[in-house]
Amino acid sequence: MTGTTVSDRYSPGEGTESRLRRVTGVAGRPTMEHLGLLGVLAVVFVLLSLTAPNFLSAENLLDVARQISFTGLIAFGMTLVIIAGEIDISVGSAIAFGSALFGVLAVDRGWPLWLAAVAVCALGALIGVGAGLLRALLNVPSFIVTLALFSALSGLALLMTDSIPIPVTDAGFAALGNDSVLGVPIPALIMIVVFAAFWLLANRTTFGRSVYAIGGNAEAANLSGISVARVRAVLFGTTGLLAALSSLLQTSQLGSGNPTIGIGVEFAVITAVIVGGASLYGGRGSMVGTLLGVVLIGILNNGMVLLGVNSYSQNVANGAIVLLAVLVSVARPSTRRTRRRAVIAPAPGS
Amino acid sequence: MNAHALSRHSPDSAHPVPPDGARAAVAVHGLVKRYPGVQALDGVDLSLAAGEVRALLGKNGAGKSTLVKILSGAVRPDAGRIHIGGRQVELPSPAVAREQGIATVHQELSLVPELSVAENILLGRWRAAGTRGGLINPAALVRYASRFLDDLRLELDPRAKVGELSVAEQQMVEIARALSYGGKVLILDEPTSSLPAAEVDTLLVLVRRLAETGLAVIYVSHRMDEIPRVADSITVLRDGSHVATRPVGDVTTAEIVEMMTGRTASPSRGPKRKASERVVLSVSGLSSGDRVRDVSFDLRQGEILGIVGLLGSGRTELFRCLYGLSRRESGSVELDGQPLRPRTPRQAIDAGLGFAPEDRKKEGLALGMGVSVNVTLSSPRRISVAGLLSRRKEQRVAEATRSRLAIKTPALRTAVGTLSGGNQQKVVLGKCLNARARVLLLNEPTRGVDVEAKEHIYALLRDLADEGSGIVVVSSEIEELFLVCDRLLVLNSGRVVLDRETGETDLPAVMAAAMEGSAR
Repeated sequence: MTGTTVSDRYSPGEGTESRLRRVTGVAGRPTMEHLGLLGVLAVVFVLLSLTAPNFLSAENLLDVARQISFTGLIAFGMTLVIIAGEIDISVGSAIAFGSALFGVLAVDRGWPLWLAAVAVCALGALIGVGAGLLRALLNVPSFIVTLALFSALSGLALLMTDSIPIPVTDAGFAALGNDSVLGVPIPALIMIVVFAAFWLLANRTTFGRSVYAIGGNAEAANLSGISVARVRAVLFGTTGLLAALSSLLQTSQLGSGNPTIGIGVEFAVITAVIVGGASLYGGRGSMVGTLLGVVLIGILNNGMVLLGVNSYSQNVANGAIVLLAVLVSVARPSTRRTRRRAVIAPAPGS
Repeated sequence: MNAHALSRHSPDSAHPVPPDGARAAVAVHGLVKRYPGVQALDGVDLSLAAGEVRALLGKNGAGKSTLVKILSGAVRPDAGRIHIGGRQVELPSPAVAREQGIATVHQELSLVPELSVAENILLGRWRAAGTRGGLINPAALVRYASRFLDDLRLELDPRAKVGELSVAEQQMVEIARALSYGGKVLILDEPTSSLPAAEVDTLLVLVRRLAETGLAVIYVSHRMDEIPRVADSITVLRDGSHVATRPVGDVTTAEIVEMMTGRTASPSRGPKRKASERVVLSVSGLSSGDRVRDVSFDLRQGEILGIVGLLGSGRTELFRCLYGLSRRESGSVELDGQPLRPRTPRQAIDAGLGFAPEDRKKEGLALGMGVSVNVTLSSPRRISVAGLLSRRKEQRVAEATRSRLAIKTPALRTAVGTLSGGNQQKVVLGKCLNARARVLLLNEPTRGVDVEAKEHIYALLRDLADEGSGIVVVSSEIEELFLVCDRLLVLNSGRVVLDRETGETDLPAVMAAAMEGSAR
């Protein structure tokens, strides 16, 4: 490169706060919001321990861990999607599709299980990337694209299997969803691995940084050289892949490729992300918050079951939780102040 | 052009004497408006007769916009009186101004593209056209609108979808809607700046025709090719004061420029810096669409080149074309001797181009995110190690940027939306510099920035140039270009009409070149 560039002349700064912030970081910083959520979680936990029979038993808690894993691991991908200002409502149907496809390939076609599993994951990711490309290149709102997938994937799942579950009888495969390692259910371990990977992705990679930037201001991100289309395509690929992974775990647990599972999962996943503090307008959200959201929703639902709450009432309660989470997020003073300050017009000219 | 329609108007028909307040369609007396630190209007008098088209001219900051805002009810004056049709009025809100007969059409169109012409004209008061059983009556809407369009002799299909009309036709719909409240005074703010060249005549014809029906028109524009064809008289404002009102036939561009600038000497810049002979950016024969036509110039290392042009002269389009945001039809660009033909911003950045867009809030910054995130947005590779972001490197780069550009921020993670305009602009500059830009394209770098911060930015630009960057600056404030630039380029209707060293030209010459109509 010829010529002297200004940036070459930068000398390393020695800001007074630098040490402090090296520890905390930008997006992965534990915020007041996380502490608040942790507080709510603690209160709910204590209340349920006192009131719900059997709640505090190891058996129940490990079961909760297993149950939240199936939907929880998708929530980390969904967090990125929502931070980018998008939404993916096809994940529930994608689970049904993945499970049905696995049954067809592994049982009807007699593929080796590992190959069928890889195929399900690859196809899930590909379908997601396709949806992302439609969103990015044709500028179709992601709600519409994934609404189409929501319907189509669930229809395909039923078509492939004639709506009859296909039993998968392989002890090794069944272990995936049912067994534990060192007492921890395997799905929960997988969820923790996924969480760690997505935490890194969100906080320590250019891709994650680009996701936040696009959600914050897509036009500025584009002009700054970020490939907005590519990021969007990859985002929906990740939720597609995670839904496929979840479908394999659930197929293993149920012992059959089932085209009717996954109903309502998109609701549970989006609820957890919103409760975790992500903004549906984009630009804000965190993996830690989502993890707390997943756990909170998980124990609340478990608690309601143990307390014998009618399942219809549980649905009403879940709806109320979403509304409450959105209200809390809208009322958050810090963001409102930022937004208002940002809108103040410059000094009037002529 | 439509010679027949325009021939009805000649400079001789201009009103030789400005009408007095009593007969005037609209008149203002002693209008005063102060903003913190700025005397926007300092006792302005102005009056228009019915049927008169008055061109309103003045440099950036002369007070035109404030006057327009006061008349349209968006801003209240500190002192002064407003008369409409001889009656004194108060205009506390846009709605009242509309009721009092002032129809304002702003630069930005405010139509709903998916609705029809009729629905747009009656936007928000569809029931006024008549209802059927308590519901909106589409046939009545169309009848109402077409009667109204006929009155204005506008040949527009009231059923047509606005989004499918040409820009000039959309502007007609906008004018029709503004007048549908019963306006007697029409204010047009730079109406041709967004029009393709071929559609300008249509608008000018319409304005003349409207004036013949007795409408008083205030026409804000600086294009000397259209002003004599549309206006009867001109009024020049300078520094918030009324300088002169003249019949349009009596004045030349040079006289108007003199009135706009006063007899003040061109602002002088510091000691001339010597730019190297090495050309960093070479543009030749660049054309793109209607707004960039056969543009050629060379930018040398260490040089600051200013681009002067009226709104709509193609200055923004030139930048967008260079940066790869709009298609290039012909011509070639070389950066450091390498052909430059970016198809995405990433390619432009990698080639060594930095771009600070006109609207930094909408296009330049992620306002809710921190300073460190924003200054490193274009340079992810500089802050990563083995594919992972390094907090330490990001910290170092951001800290260096802060001290280099003297960005005032409580912390590096403070959301940039909370910073002042000047500091926000520095963050945008920092983003370009961190991506190791060798040529900076800066569109209105001092817009919305206070006086002191402007000085900082000028000094910064000189430093950057001294360190070897090539800089191209677009600004509506021509004086500031004289302060910072080594050379000035004037664009007029997409063409370069003047290319001079700053020391070899002066403010009137540059303004006249920008306003003259010869290029179209």
